[in-house]
Amino acid sequence: MGSFVLKRLGFAVITLFCVLTIVFFIVRILPGDPALVILGDQASQAAIESLRTRLGLDQPLYIQYVEFMAGVFTGDWGQSMVSGRPVIAEILNVLPATIELTVAALILGAAVGIPLGVWSAIRRNSVPDYAIRLASLLGLSFPAFVSAILLLLAFAITLRWFPVMSTGRGETFGARLNDLALPAINLGLIMAAYITRVSRSAMLEVLGQDYVRTAKAKGLAFGTIIWRHCLRNTMIPVVTVVGLYLGILIGNSVLTEIVFNRPGLGRLIVGALNQRDYTMLQGMMVIYTLIVVVVNLLTDLTYGLIDPRIKYK
Amino acid sequence: MRLSTFTLACSAMLFAGSAYAQQTTLTIGMASADAGRLDPHVATTTPDKGLLHYMFNGLVRIAPGQASPEYIEPDIAESWTSSEDGLTWTFSLRDDVACHGDWGMLSADDVVFSLERAANPDTSAFASDFRAVESVEATAENEVTIILSEPVPSLLGLLVPYHGGNIVCQAAVEAMGDQFEREPVGTGPWQFAEYQPQQFVRLVANENYFRGAPQIKEIMLRYIPSDSSRDLAFQAGEIDMLYGRQDQTWLDRISELPDTTVVAMRPGEMSQLMLNMTMPPLDDVRVRRAVAHAVNREAMVEFKGPDVTLPAVSPVPEGYLGYTDDVPQYEYSPERARELLAEAGFPDGVTLNAIHTTLPGMLATIEAVQAQLRESGITLDIDLVEHATFHAQIREDLSQVTHYSAARFPVADTYLTLFNHSDSAPGKPTASTNFSHCDVADQEIVAARIEPDQARQLELWAEAQRKIMDAVCVVPIYQNMQLWAWTDSLDLGHEVVGSLNLSPAITEKSRFTQ
Repeated sequence: MGSFVLKRLGFAVITLFCVLTIVFFIVRILPGDPALVILGDQASQAAIESLRTRLGLDQPLYIQYVEFMAGVFTGDWGQSMVSGRPVIAEILNVLPATIELTVAALILGAAVGIPLGVWSAIRRNSVPDYAIRLASLLGLSFPAFVSAILLLLAFAITLRWFPVMSTGRGETFGARLNDLALPAINLGLIMAAYITRVSRSAMLEVLGQDYVRTAKAKGLAFGTIIWRHCLRNTMIPVVTVVGLYLGILIGNSVLTEIVFNRPGLGRLIVGALNQRDYTMLQGMMVIYTLIVVVVNLLTDLTYGLIDPRIKYK
Repeated sequence: MRLSTFTLACSAMLFAGSAYAQQTTLTIGMASADAGRLDPHVATTTPDKGLLHYMFNGLVRIAPGQASPEYIEPDIAESWTSSEDGLTWTFSLRDDVACHGDWGMLSADDVVFSLERAANPDTSAFASDFRAVESVEATAENEVTIILSEPVPSLLGLLVPYHGGNIVCQAAVEAMGDQFEREPVGTGPWQFAEYQPQQFVRLVANENYFRGAPQIKEIMLRYIPSDSSRDLAFQAGEIDMLYGRQDQTWLDRISELPDTTVVAMRPGEMSQLMLNMTMPPLDDVRVRRAVAHAVNREAMVEFKGPDVTLPAVSPVPEGYLGYTDDVPQYEYSPERARELLAEAGFPDGVTLNAIHTTLPGMLATIEAVQAQLRESGITLDIDLVEHATFHAQIREDLSQVTHYSAARFPVADTYLTLFNHSDSAPGKPTASTNFSHCDVADQEIVAARIEPDQARQLELWAEAQRKIMDAVCVVPIYQNMQLWAWTDSLDLGHEVVGSLNLSPAITEKSRFTQ
């Protein structure tokens, strides 16, 4: 397994290098001058040129590229062109809030989605199955910002159970949970919809397998068949989808972060893109690539835990 | 005796209770996603300018609650004089102005340093405003003299705490280096305390403020980019004051909330169509006049909301010093527009292109204008791009029609220079925002800038406006007011008519009544 992990990490470095090269050139191809964005439309041309020089944007592209790559691999990611604050500090400042939200949404999604998916498969073509399928379809198609506003209206304005502004920085565990509840529900329900559908189809496939028929013929209790023989085999596609979706979720949480006014990577990257903050965008890409690589690696390793037949070479 | 003791004790408890309950933290909902660079000589975004206004002073200021230069009054300078030729200005400074924290008392050297910094393009985004400043000198312990290369009658406007007029503390700037733009040090009623990215900036009262310690002890500026979330946070009582979406529906809805004050403040952002006079068919004045006749301003005001917009007829927004409505006006008339197009050789109408931002407020306007122009045979092809791309492409002269919306320092010279003087046209070394390449009033704009006689200056500005509207460099549409709301328990201590910084002025006298 050690060599497998090392090999994957080696691929990760190559992936990172390619992604950063592409990102470096794409952000510079985009129209829009960071110096103009920073100084505003009232700034004189002299002030804009002066800032471009200070930001190093007057250097030839290849020199900027070499300096950028050297910085990435030596841990110097530079300063945000807009705020002037170190890129790493800005990212690390919001990363815990993003991880907190994503993990909470994942737990909620799995806790709701797996049982519903399994139940729906077991009760195939019954009223509960139709209801669950309809609910999961709604969950997938409902825009996140609409559900967020509805949650706020119900639980923050009418019932006053939770705050409108989720600061992500509560001092006590209870305060943090209180802050996290609505954003996590909003994101978790979307995740639950995905997991429900995948769990259902995986379970349906497993229920048709010979070993399940054999277990039934042996007279095993239905609960035991589901719990001991079906559920574990259902988990491989579920883990694959969760792994894939987790990477996307971290990026897609931007709407939830904006509506609940919560700090996070999603808000940071949208702001950086709008303001042509090259250094911040590059730093964000490093983080996103690392997250996707790590999540994929963990997904692969989880396969082995679920199915001992899988060997890592 | 026992009863009176009991009554006294109860009264004391009640008093103590009410004193304890007195709110001293003001939470403001800002519309942006985050704070930018907080160096007052660099910050250009509306939210940053509002924040910095609570932290900095100028030599002079516009009275709290007002936005017009006619309300200029002393700030750090107690008094001032100018020479007869208008080239030498001497300011007598207060001796009780302290820099925030441990940075000592403000001196004349700090003022000299600040103004020189504001005039330097390497350290300031507003250096061009100070092009006529030849030198700034500390001529006595509490005296600063500014020497100009040419008279600038509106010099005091440059010295208010807005853009380059903000006074910084030299020792802090030099010692802190780049850190200064993250933890700025000023002399204003509140000082920087804390910043959390994407969340808030916290300011605390400057107890040594020269006008007296502020009654509000803490200001939390919370960054809430979602309009809906900001409104809900206000409704839930989590914020006390908020920046509103600039439309009538927002005003109507927020006005219905109990215990809420809603204000439409000046200066408004004027929305205008800038017609590129170097590009056919807009190089023909008859086509430009046809566009002017095709825009129905009354309908646009009705569309945006009569309580939040004012019709615009001049290239200078109403309320700016030097504004006049005595300019050629183009009544809404599709028939006249078609006649003009036919005269210009386009009996079947014309097609124009407009590169346009995706900002929702501006997009709704250009789509309404597009529908109006169609009635006069003018097809407007709108090429939608996101905001930074929009700014880049209009500076490359890629758009025949540029829809621009902006508020500036409320003196005619600012708007005329930036939007209508040929030096500000794209391609020039001094390029700014003259996207129509207007050059018909250069002489009047420059003459008015240095004209010492105010009546003559006003006449020159009026003449410039007449010439620009006669040539139809731009088609003014409307002015959008700045909308703010706050809880009734917040007493700002002054009437709010406007604010130069586009955020309501909060002063040392502002307080909560509950």
